Amino acid sequence: MLWYVAKRLLAAMPTLVAVLTVVFVIVRIIPGDPALTVLGDQATPQALAALREKLGIDKPLLAQYLDFISAALTGDLGRSLVSGRPVINEVVAVLPHTLDLTISSLVLGTVLGVPLGVWAALRRNRLADYVIRIVSLVGLSFPVFVSGIFLLMVFALHYRLFPVIGTANLSDLGDRTWKLVLPTITLGLVMVAYITRVTRSAMLQVLSEDYVRTARAKGVPARLVIRRHALRNALIPVVTVVGLYLGINIGNSVLTEIVFNRPGLGKVIVTALNQRDYAMLQGLMVIYCFLIVVTNLLTDLAYGLIDPRVKQA
Amino acid sequence: MSGAGDDAPVLRVEDLSVEFRVRGAWWPAVRGLSFVVARNETLALVGESGCGKSITALSVMGLVPRPQGRIGGGRILFEGRDVAAMPEAELERLRGDRMAMIFQEPMTSLNPVLSVGFQVSEALRVHRGIDAAAADAEALRLLEEVKIPSARRRFADYPHQFSGGMRQRVMIAMAIALKPALLLADEPTTALDVTIQAQVLGLLADLKSVQGMSMLFITHNLGVVAAIADRVAVMYAGEIVEVAPVARIFSAPVHPYTEALFRAIPRIDRAEQSLDAIGGQVPPIDRMPQGCRFAPRCPARRASCEASAQALVEVAPGHEVRCGVRAPAGAMAA
Repeated sequence: MLWYVAKRLLAAMPTLVAVLTVVFVIVRIIPGDPALTVLGDQATPQALAALREKLGIDKPLLAQYLDFISAALTGDLGRSLVSGRPVINEVVAVLPHTLDLTISSLVLGTVLGVPLGVWAALRRNRLADYVIRIVSLVGLSFPVFVSGIFLLMVFALHYRLFPVIGTANLSDLGDRTWKLVLPTITLGLVMVAYITRVTRSAMLQVLSEDYVRTARAKGVPARLVIRRHALRNALIPVVTVVGLYLGINIGNSVLTEIVFNRPGLGKVIVTALNQRDYAMLQGLMVIYCFLIVVTNLLTDLAYGLIDPRVKQA
Repeated sequence: MSGAGDDAPVLRVEDLSVEFRVRGAWWPAVRGLSFVVARNETLALVGESGCGKSITALSVMGLVPRPQGRIGGGRILFEGRDVAAMPEAELERLRGDRMAMIFQEPMTSLNPVLSVGFQVSEALRVHRGIDAAAADAEALRLLEEVKIPSARRRFADYPHQFSGGMRQRVMIAMAIALKPALLLADEPTTALDVTIQAQVLGLLADLKSVQGMSMLFITHNLGVVAAIADRVAVMYAGEIVEVAPVARIFSAPVHPYTEALFRAIPRIDRAEQSLDAIGGQVPPIDRMPQGCRFAPRCPARRASCEASAQALVEVAPGHEVRCGVRAPAGAMAA
């Protein structure tokens, strides 16, 4: 297992460098002169040249590339063109909010989705299965801004159980949890729906496998057959989906963040886009890709825990 | 345990019918099936694919796939108790303990995410409730008994690290873990190379003589039948058409279907020959003929064959045939 972890970690490094390279290329391809964008049409040539030198874009492309990679690998992602603050500081300030929401909604999705999916598979084509399938389809079809606003109206405005404004004080655990409840439900319900559906279809496939019949032929009690023999195999595709959505949700929680007025990575990205803050966007792309690479690494490690065949490969 | 005497058969199947749902109606895949397996006896169940052999074995184990299949009627008396009427919890106590099953596909019959050692020891843990260390020790002994090379080193390995023949040995070790009274073997050698086949058959014969268990051996391979069986039951389209001791069925088959099966085996002692394939196909489950089910493909067919169902008639001691032409009712040979 240790060897497997080491191999996965090593394999993640080239991915990271490749991602940095792609980000570098994309930013250079974007038409327009960053200095001109910052200073505007009225800037003097001297001011433009000074800014270019300051941004390091007067150097040859290869030198720029090496500067960028070495800076990125040491955690220096440049400064925002608008606020002038280091990108990494902006990200670190909001990352806990984003991770809170992403992880809690994922936990909610798994804790509810896996048992529901198993239940639906076991009751295939019976009432419970139909209800679970229909409800999960509805859950998937509801956009987050609709369900979020609905939850706000009912539980924050009408019953006043939870706050309307979601900016939490990070050092106050109670406050942090309390303000997380409604956003987590909003984003988590989508995850529940996804995970339920994946678990159901994976379970149905696994339940018809020969080794499940073998386990029953051994006299293993039905509950144990489901938990030990079927579910463990069915979790492999579930882990894939969870890993995928963990990555996607880090960026996609923006709608939830806007509805609940929470700070977060998604909101920072949207703000940078609106302000055409190229330096900020470049840094954010790197951070986002880094998080995806980390997520994939975690997914691979989870595979290794579940499936012994993976460790071999 | 059963209160039955030593000479009582381990398994007595009486008028069993197993039905499957096809387009909204239940059709029998096996019907009117009756046979016995005596203590220490190996009964071979022979027939083409789809004739109901595997379904018969699954019924005995209480593993008929649901909801599309069900036991439609009859009794399955295992050590005197009716398995067909047993609640699932009671069946779970019998399965893997008093009766066990080996399946055709060793490549897919083992759980890929559990170690081989654990899978062998699982039945011991479940049925005997012994602790993990004792179960592991016994499982290791079993793996050695089925001749897994360097079993100790391979105990914690996973199925994908084993070859097909080795996996089937693991399946056998699992099945014999609790010294079952009855072993159901569903084409256990079909997926294996010929040399491995011979090894596995030899292993099963050894285990049977050492442990004194009965076996219901399902196969379509008549060479395997000759090697392992005491008696043979030939099935066609869900019915037994002929039962006889193994020597007799090879020397004096009576039913035209049994004859045709033997003619379809290539003979090494003849220079030139044309293999006689049996013309036509087994009729589909929802379009069975009214009378003799083999009649549409039968070379000895008469008009009367298709009119009414045929009965099993004893033509010699222990030799029964379901054929109105070759073995008309009330015409037992002297």
